[in-house]
Amino acid sequence: MSSRWYPLYQRGNPQLRVFLPNFWMKIVKTPNQQPENVVCFEVSHQMTKYDIRQYLEKIYKLPVVAVRDRIAMGRFKREERNGYIIKEEDSKLAYVTFPKEVKFTYPDLFPEENETKKNLKDDEKSLDQAKERFREFCNRNSKRRGLPGWYSI
Amino acid sequence: MIILNLIKRTTFAAQLLNRSIFNNSLYNGIKYCVTRNIHLSQPAHDINEDVNNKLMEFFDVPKNWNENEVKHGRSWNLAELRIKSNSDLHKIWFILLKELNMLKTMEHEYKREWKWWASPERIDKVQDSMKNIETVVRERNQAYHMLESGTDGEQPGQYITNALGLREYKKSVEHIVPYWANKKWREANPRGCHGPDYQKFMRLYREKIYNDKRKGRNRDKNHVIRLLSRFPNLDRNVLKGKYPQINFDTLNKKDLYRGHYVPDVE
Repeated sequence: MSSRWYPLYQRGNPQLRVFLPNFWMKIVKTPNQQPENVVCFEVSHQMTKYDIRQYLEKIYKLPVVAVRDRIAMGRFKREERNGYIIKEEDSKLAYVTFPKEVKFTYPDLFPEENETKKNLKDDEKSLDQAKERFREFCNRNSKRRGLPGWYSI
Repeated sequence: MIILNLIKRTTFAAQLLNRSIFNNSLYNGIKYCVTRNIHLSQPAHDINEDVNNKLMEFFDVPKNWNENEVKHGRSWNLAELRIKSNSDLHKIWFILLKELNMLKTMEHEYKREWKWWASPERIDKVQDSMKNIETVVRERNQAYHMLESGTDGEQPGQYITNALGLREYKKSVEHIVPYWANKKWREANPRGCHGPDYQKFMRLYREKIYNDKRKGRNRDKNHVIRLLSRFPNLDRNVLKGKYPQINFDTLNKKDLYRGHYVPDVE
């Protein structure tokens, strides 16, 4: 796309500007414990430290003090059935430091599951009914052993 | 009465969680694409509160946590975006970008906790809208370049023969040093391939392509014969339109063509 095709930068040229950035960022829980003013972001792989800082300052208007980033290697694991090795995708993590007065804790997204359980109650009820009917269907000829499966009253 | 209405409205607005933009052109953006109320980043005196409010833009409103379904609209289509100005498109893009970041954050956390995340199709809709915005911007860019320079301003490219000897489309990229003076680049990006091994490889490669085509042709032919044997009254013109490369005049000479019924003998 022409809007993603940037001219080569030569010294003295005006600074390159991104008008429609297609970078994404998401807040993740820190793998290791961090100070309260440090927030861990997972970001697009193409982003540099400067990009991350500009992104947060310009789009979200956040006061960024420092940015450190690393590429976390995806875990290797064995496929359960056939045993071949699978590698999860790498991810780029950015540890962004905010001013020392800031205390950010990751919000508790699953405080109590009462609400969800209330909604799922009807589903569970119908599931139990289906189970019960299947059990009846399986045992319908239990008193007349040896009859073929299609034979029932 | 008017004053009463005004008061009602203001209280209603206060109840909404910090909805920020009531600009007419952008209100549509909220209506169609955004599934939550936009957080207003108000200048707070307390920097802790301020930063926390802004960081909460990465999360959905608490109302939508642990829901089975989140009601949302459709994505922006091309016709709607074509009548917007450039600056409006720019604003819509950033609304969508923030929404995408929010959705990705929520999806990540719900997946990590092995929990049901409501309405994952929201991500697709936002991405679809973003793709459409890019298309519209690209159209405008092309029109501008055609007016100014007579070319569409797209990234140029050409077909080249790569190091394996295969034809490949390569987009041109700007370089400071020209191609003929940059020996290092030429060595890193060899073009063309020669020698007996290459000849053998290409022979087998072409044979493979030829065989694929031949097998596809036979597959189609047998399929059509079986169709005709099963359904003798099938409309042949439809089949001819669908399989133009098959010669229908010679098909009835095949054994497969005869169906399992007594033929009409005159």
